[in-house]
Amino acid sequence: MSYLEYRVKTVPSGLRKVLYLNWALVLLVTAVACVGFLMLYSVAGGSFQPWAEPQMKRFLAGMVVMFTVAMVPIWFWRNVAGVAFAISILLLVAVDFFGDVGMGAQRWIDLGVIRLQPSEMTKITLVMILAAYYDWLPANRVSHPLFVAIPLVLILLPSALVLKQPDLGTALLLVFGGAAVMFAAGVHWLYFAVVIAMGAGLVIAVFVTRGTPWQLLQDYQYRRIDIFLDPASDPLGAGYHITQSKIALGSGGWAGQGFMQGTQSQLNFLPEKHTDFIFTTLAEEFGFIGGMSLLLLYGLILAFCIASALQNRDRFSSLLTLGIAMTFFLFFALNMSMVMGMAPVVGVPLPLVSYGGSAMMVLLGAFGLIQSAHVHRPRGR
Amino acid sequence: MIRTPLRPLARILDARARGENPEAIERENLRLRHEQMRDRARARAEGRLLILGFLFLCAFTAVGGRMAVLAASDEPGEPRAIASGAAIVAQRADITDRRGRILATNLATHSLYAQPPLMIDKARAARELAEIFPDLDRDRLLRQFTGKRKFLWIKRQISPEQMQQVHDIGDPGLLFGPREMRLYPNGKLAAHVLGGTRFGQEGVHSAEVVGVAGVEKAFDEYLRDPANGAAPLRLSLDLTVQAAARRVLAGGMTLLNAKGAAAVLMDVHTGEVISLISLPDFDPNDRPAPLNMGHPSDSPLFNRAVQGVYELGSTFKTFAIAQALELGLVEPDTMIDTEGPLRWGKYSINDFHDYGDKLSVTDVIVESSNIGTAHIAQKIGAERQRDFLGRLGLLKPTGLEMVEAPGIEPLLPAKWSELSTMTISYGHGLSVSPLHLAAAYATIANGGRRIEPTLLAGNGVQQGERVISETVSAKVRKMLRQVVVRGTASMADVEGYAVAGKTGSADKPKPTGGYYKDRVISTFASMFPADDPRYVLVVTLDEPEDRTGSEPRRTAGWTAVPVAAEIIRRVAPLLGLRPAIEPAPGFGVTLAGN
Repeated sequence: MSYLEYRVKTVPSGLRKVLYLNWALVLLVTAVACVGFLMLYSVAGGSFQPWAEPQMKRFLAGMVVMFTVAMVPIWFWRNVAGVAFAISILLLVAVDFFGDVGMGAQRWIDLGVIRLQPSEMTKITLVMILAAYYDWLPANRVSHPLFVAIPLVLILLPSALVLKQPDLGTALLLVFGGAAVMFAAGVHWLYFAVVIAMGAGLVIAVFVTRGTPWQLLQDYQYRRIDIFLDPASDPLGAGYHITQSKIALGSGGWAGQGFMQGTQSQLNFLPEKHTDFIFTTLAEEFGFIGGMSLLLLYGLILAFCIASALQNRDRFSSLLTLGIAMTFFLFFALNMSMVMGMAPVVGVPLPLVSYGGSAMMVLLGAFGLIQSAHVHRPRGR
Repeated sequence: MIRTPLRPLARILDARARGENPEAIERENLRLRHEQMRDRARARAEGRLLILGFLFLCAFTAVGGRMAVLAASDEPGEPRAIASGAAIVAQRADITDRRGRILATNLATHSLYAQPPLMIDKARAARELAEIFPDLDRDRLLRQFTGKRKFLWIKRQISPEQMQQVHDIGDPGLLFGPREMRLYPNGKLAAHVLGGTRFGQEGVHSAEVVGVAGVEKAFDEYLRDPANGAAPLRLSLDLTVQAAARRVLAGGMTLLNAKGAAAVLMDVHTGEVISLISLPDFDPNDRPAPLNMGHPSDSPLFNRAVQGVYELGSTFKTFAIAQALELGLVEPDTMIDTEGPLRWGKYSINDFHDYGDKLSVTDVIVESSNIGTAHIAQKIGAERQRDFLGRLGLLKPTGLEMVEAPGIEPLLPAKWSELSTMTISYGHGLSVSPLHLAAAYATIANGGRRIEPTLLAGNGVQQGERVISETVSAKVRKMLRQVVVRGTASMADVEGYAVAGKTGSADKPKPTGGYYKDRVISTFASMFPADDPRYVLVVTLDEPEDRTGSEPRRTAGWTAVPVAAEIIRRVAPLLGLRPAIEPAPGFGVTLAGN
């Protein structure tokens, strides 16, 4: 159902919209953010500076953004999807030319007032344009090769730009997020099967050709893979992050060492303990129970998003909600598996918990889109 | 799928008959079909969503399961031991020389750290600490104490006096942890062999000591392994011999204005290295940082005896002669053509002096004739020469138990041509370390058995592969003795100890190609006592220059030989060798007078 078929009269209007927000989702998001404040307070050694307080301010600003976005009708967002996507591509290209180099990668554009990270924005605009695309495309053409190629280009273009920065984590997020939207839109499963088989074949080829003259990767890249598979082989070098965080997780045990008592994080063994590796602090101080609780919160957020997507009969809203949920899921799944040594260290923050403004703003804006889709969903028949 | 026709003829005719608009039927059917399609797409989309949901669930389970496994894992791993303060096994085994004298041991000291939250008077503590340790900055300390840190190291190692002074400050936030440090009581002596250590993982209760070079690194696991019950590692070095030899070598290096020097003294039967010196050296207690520019060999850390590979010049002639004798190609009195210069393509081989048309094989060695040796090498041929040098161990890294040794590959010619064969026979075109040379000379000296150099004492006589026969060995020794008696190494005639040996002065290659005219590597490879050798000694000087004469003299006979002779004179008695002649009368009286 396209927005043209909305019976606009059944959609709430004015301030009444607030009543129709998905309040459970708002509460869950706030709860997760609070866990973040707590951890940032702890890693700073029991202080609101230098991390917890700015993070709270950012969260409040982000909530304002979220409510503003939620008040705007979802069909407006559908109509600007193309423009938004084009802008983010332009910004991504611009970053290559004008971007500041932060932490060894070119990701930021300095706008004077705020420092913008276009790759964060792209995660959302990509999902938006894909959802709009499938909303426009008649259902019987979804699996036509030509109409499969178009979204592929839409996904791979920003991914390649982001990969060049280089930011492997975000590129993965874009590819998987986009693929999820395509999957939910009903593209024939054979396409996915072929891609997965090709991926598996590539991985096998990489390992089989090792040591032969035509090996696919450089020797140092193989060593990195070795270290990922067995971090203990280089505990002070590249395996340091993972080894230390595994120790932190192990030392947390079931109930943890108690708030602000984590030895690994308090004694500065952990790198990036306030950003990408903040989950280790949580696991060390609150143990398995704490970690599982956070996982549960994330799971609930996801469940509410999927439920909202299922309820929504507007195709754009449904796909958008799902795509954003998928991106969110990939965020924390990649981060947690990285911290627990199940994935290589690619530098993905823990959403809503890790210290950092750009990611939080974009995520809250994205939740605003989900809220807008929820509020303005077609009702009745 | 059965598609209902959009315009069923019967119904349309029916409608026409009733005067209704047949288009309405088509519209109605179209609408129904669209709705059907949409419902199907919808069902499919919902199915896909559920599949995705299921995948999410799987991922959750995986992450949760992994978390449970990690949380349940009790195995803390090494670094955790530090955090929780459990003991790191810090008792590193001692290293001793062959007679059990200490070369490396541990000293208990203390580390000093602070926990600012526990401190009472931070300003006073910072002030008094800066007084005790002048290298600490008071303001910086104060900043660190008042900052957010809950823990900071102040000093890695402090002396007992300093510890008492800090204790007297009386601040509960200043804490001490026991810490063992590695101590080399003999300082620079045997620095390169021992290598050195650094701290690995550091904790407040102890710190891990890790070998970084030399024996300390090669035997790191053994030295750290508590299962060895702190049994010391006994090396083949002899501390007194090492001290005497180092002293002479250092003196010789200064007198002869050399930029570096190396000496290797080895037992010819066991392959045990009794003394191994490389100058300039360093103090392993305070190991300097490696150079980050220039050539590594400019650093005192560079071990010239093991890591340095040089063209060692005429010392290689011994091998050509020995092989020719072994093959029966020549006898010591066979006359060899030495008319020069010997032209080979665009190259020509010259001698230091003109030795006339012919010399006996013995005199080729004694006078060190390049041309004569090259002729002999031609008779041997490239193939056999390469095989022979390989069996002497000159073409592969030595098996010495230092971490540096296995990586030191001799430099071979890219193509072992006939010209290479000729130049290698007198020591150009093949670069080996002085240690390689010592091991090969040990084989010549001990009756012909291959020797693998070792730094461990007590493994007994090596029964290596036979490279030359006893008789050939004896003949070569006799010739080498003649080198000392009446040849280029006459300064090596040490009273009471019959020394045999061969000199070698090789022009140094320029990095840009070609050779320097005024820079040499001067080497003397010797064995003593000549009739039944027990030891070989190789002395190498890098760019020596004797400036006492009217013009600078650089050849080994004037540089490496006198230094080696002085070393032998000093160490032979320490090695328990009896002098072959009675001391002159009155010698004892002088001794008593001292």
